[in-house]
Amino acid sequence: MAQSKPIERLTQSRVWRSFFRHGWPDNPLDRSLTMTSNIFFHLHPVKVSRKSLRWNYSFGLGIMAAILYGVLVFTGILLMFYYVPSVERAYPTMKEIQLSVPLGQFTRNMHRWAAHAMVLVVILHMARVFYTGAYKPPREFNWVIGVILLLLTLGASFTGYLLPWDQLSYWAITVGTNIAGYAPVAGPVMRELLLGGTEVSQNTLIRFYTLHIALLPASLVLLISVHFWRVRKDGGLAANEAPDAE
Amino acid sequence: MTNELSANEEIFPKGTNKSYAIVELVRGDGPMVGKGPEKTVFSFPVVLLWEVLLLLGVTLALFLFSLIKQAPLDAIANPQVTTDPAKAPWYFVGLQELLEHMHPTLAGIIIPGILVLFLVSLPYLDHSRTHAGVWFSTRRGKRITVWTALYTAIAMIAFIALDNAFSMRESLRGVAPPWVAQWLLPALILAVIVLIPVVVLRRKGASTREVMIALFTVMLASAVVLTISGFLFRGPGFEMFPPWNMPDGYNPWNDF
Ligand code: HEM
Repeated sequence: MAQSKPIERLTQSRVWRSFFRHGWPDNPLDRSLTMTSNIFFHLHPVKVSRKSLRWNYSFGLGIMAAILYGVLVFTGILLMFYYVPSVERAYPTMKEIQLSVPLGQFTRNMHRWAAHAMVLVVILHMARVFYTGAYKPPREFNWVIGVILLLLTLGASFTGYLLPWDQLSYWAITVGTNIAGYAPVAGPVMRELLLGGTEVSQNTLIRFYTLHIALLPASLVLLISVHFWRVRKDGGLAANEAPDAE
Repeated sequence: MTNELSANEEIFPKGTNKSYAIVELVRGDGPMVGKGPEKTVFSFPVVLLWEVLLLLGVTLALFLFSLIKQAPLDAIANPQVTTDPAKAPWYFVGLQELLEHMHPTLAGIIIPGILVLFLVSLPYLDHSRTHAGVWFSTRRGKRITVWTALYTAIAMIAFIALDNAFSMRESLRGVAPPWVAQWLLPALILAVIVLIPVVVLRRKGASTREVMIALFTVMLASAVVLTISGFLFRGPGFEMFPPWNMPDGYNPWNDF
């Protein structure tokens, strides 16, 4: 590739070369090195089969779930700068976010709709994986990790639902946690553990908040990483095992 | 002497980036013929471009939706005043619909527990490697999916509508002990709905994969029917109303 002198000087410099350990990716070697020498790109193999790239095989649903998760983390952190998880302050801070924080309402909208979308997309992804038979060996374990990811996603949505502390959230969580109380033997204990008492209260709010911003997102990051790693270790997408169409 | 050196240099050139060489060419029809590198593409930049496109598409869609639809915020929580109806978010409203038809332990704990167990054990029950990576596996698999979905939709709609019209709970009061209406009958009805496709398929000599397709489809289609019923057809008091006849001032879309 013909490059002008200053650019060449830059890309040959000691600093640049400490960042990027490959040349301009216009040839097979540098394209390979681009993928293998970058921690994020390294999730992918150097080459992938055309079959696994076909859009109507995976519909990109797994990637979309991960993107939505990224949007949720980003907007969620912005909301955390203002939100206070106390029974007295939660609702007023929500109002404040909507009325006086620049782009506050918009950020909250993004967070809310991304959460709904993520639940939907994860369910669709599971259906796609099932109907393409991609849970078959050697991918059984990754399917099981997927089931846990589905439960974590539902848990993250459900715990977030309480945080605005309005009528909608209060009664939805009351109905939801009442169901836990119906479990045989352990029901009442489970419900009390979830609520931190016998009804939705300050204890519940702080428990749901901690689950929502720390425990569940951390578990999701961990398991999504394992999930991606397993996709590679299991030989890429199951589409690779399908007989050639031609 | 000079000749020898240049030949050497040609075979082992110095200062190139080349890390590969042609060793030999073969003609043949071994297992790798036709599956060679020509069926693959470099991840850079193809895969990354796909991902950037998806990223832009998803964010743009969220962006536009967030511009036109505001996240709901109701009045401040008040433990003294119950909302009517107290509805779960859409992904749990199917469960809430199920609760209307049977004992809460059955609908809220046992059935979801069975579903999670089914999902987790699924790849260990169906462990054949054949037909992986193909939508519906075979043509027959596709037909099974479509017919099972249709059958389940009809069966579940009938179950919800009939139980709503002639509530088992009410009509059996005093006739049979409560556990018959709350546990035995609903569990039996659901078991029959689930088992009919399994029995039919087994008789036709279906494979494990095909039975799994039927079971998964029963689960998914039931979830869809229950969710639609709970979301669109339940109004004040979680009573059944057709969406076109919803009481004024109540719109299920308001706060999903
Ligand atoms: C947070 C949720 C999840 C994320 C971010 C995620 C992400 C992904 C991604 C990016 C892929 C690569 C292929 C694709 O894009 O479709 C994938 C594949 C896969 N996922 Fe997920 N996933 C999630 C949940 C699930 C669930 C709920 C299941 C199943 C119960 C599941 C099972 C699998 C399996 C078996 C594969 C391999 C598919 C194949 O080889 O064709 N995942 N996942």
